[in-house]
Amino acid sequence: MRAIHEPLRCVAVRPKVIRRAVTLLLACCVSSVGSSAAAVESGETLRLELQPRVCTLTANEPYCDTTVRAQWKSPHDESLCLVIVGRPDIRRCWENFSAGLYQVELTFNEDLIVELRDPQLQRVLASEAVTVIREALRLRRKRRQPWNILY
Amino acid sequence: MTATSRSTGVAAACALALALLFGSSVRAQTTCKAPSSECVVVGKLDLSVGLGLGDRSNPVRGESSIPLVVIPQLSYYGRHFFLDNLELGVTVHESDTTTLNLIATPGYDRVFFYRNDLQNFFVGGAPYATGIAPLAPSDQPEQQQVFPVRRRHTTYLAGPEWLFDYEGISGQLDALREVTGEHEGYEVRGAIAVPLLKNAGALVVNTGFTWKSAALVRYYYGVDGLYRPGDAWNPFVKLGYSRPWSERWSLNAFVHYEYLDRAVADSPLVSDHSVLTVFGGVVFKIL
Repeated sequence: MRAIHEPLRCVAVRPKVIRRAVTLLLACCVSSVGSSAAAVESGETLRLELQPRVCTLTANEPYCDTTVRAQWKSPHDESLCLVIVGRPDIRRCWENFSAGLYQVELTFNEDLIVELRDPQLQRVLASEAVTVIREALRLRRKRRQPWNILY
Repeated sequence: MTATSRSTGVAAACALALALLFGSSVRAQTTCKAPSSECVVVGKLDLSVGLGLGDRSNPVRGESSIPLVVIPQLSYYGRHFFLDNLELGVTVHESDTTTLNLIATPGYDRVFFYRNDLQNFFVGGAPYATGIAPLAPSDQPEQQQVFPVRRRHTTYLAGPEWLFDYEGISGQLDALREVTGEHEGYEVRGAIAVPLLKNAGALVVNTGFTWKSAALVRYYYGVDGLYRPGDAWNPFVKLGYSRPWSERWSLNAFVHYEYLDRAVADSPLVSDHSVLTVFGGVVFKIL
């Protein structure tokens, strides 16, 4: 929006400047519309959903130990790979598919980030996370008891 | 200067020395960040049991030593209230390096007279009580004399407790008074714990003392008309080792030696000058 408004402030200056500004304005608009369309397209065409979305750890659970289900959909065929950040051993690729489902048993104690990438793994096409939430633990120092049998 | 006032003065001097040594220059230590043997989760009940072989010598004449086979451990720490086996208390101040509690703790000496004392609970052997003790005065070993020995009831002592940390060294000082109306004696407990090893398990040496007032010593070790002891000053040293095997299992062993003051050891009820406790086994965390 800023790129559009700035040339308009120069309208009354000179005809040559006006022409240049209009050209710039149109270029900006076309560029802007184009990028918006691309954003909409990428946002709407490829969808990745994870289950569960959240893993809650209680005081006695140091890790999430669960089956993660990743499902993606696209209106047209895609060639892509599903990877998990920090887990190079996990990779599942599809070639010319419009949907895919991958389930894996995982143990993790930090947010788990699942990505869809191009077959060369260079570009991230979609990304979602399983968020780890720890039950708020309040800790306090235990008393020392030198007289205690097992201390 | 009487023996009582002299010992009281020594106890106070030691307490003051500990306070000056550690209290004036305590340095901030890391706070609790994860549950461990030193840090507990507030509001969570901890229950574990020690299984192994051990023995506590019994200095009381005619009493057998106390076997240590199964040792339950129970603790609960609330935000202020806590229960630690048979001790309970309230924390009135807590910082990274200093804790001030008001505690109630059972009188320790009864364990030597009554096997069914709760402090001996689950350490093995059939519970029995001693009401009359046969006494053999040391100067007349062959001539057995029987003296009536009064019952020693379960007592509780209460008072402030100060805990502090200084560069990994932990200290404890308890000033206690008997509150169950049995003898109204006093007890001061002081100790420091120094970690020697931390990588291959934890090896900790504890050293300290227990000062017992004359009223308390008389209640347990006095004999009416025969022996009227003064206060007692018992130092101790303890070497403990623990090594976790898994989340629930750990190895545990210790040796604890307590020297008994003459006020205790000279009692006709007592035949030994020290108490030695040894234990080796595993600890299983149930909760």
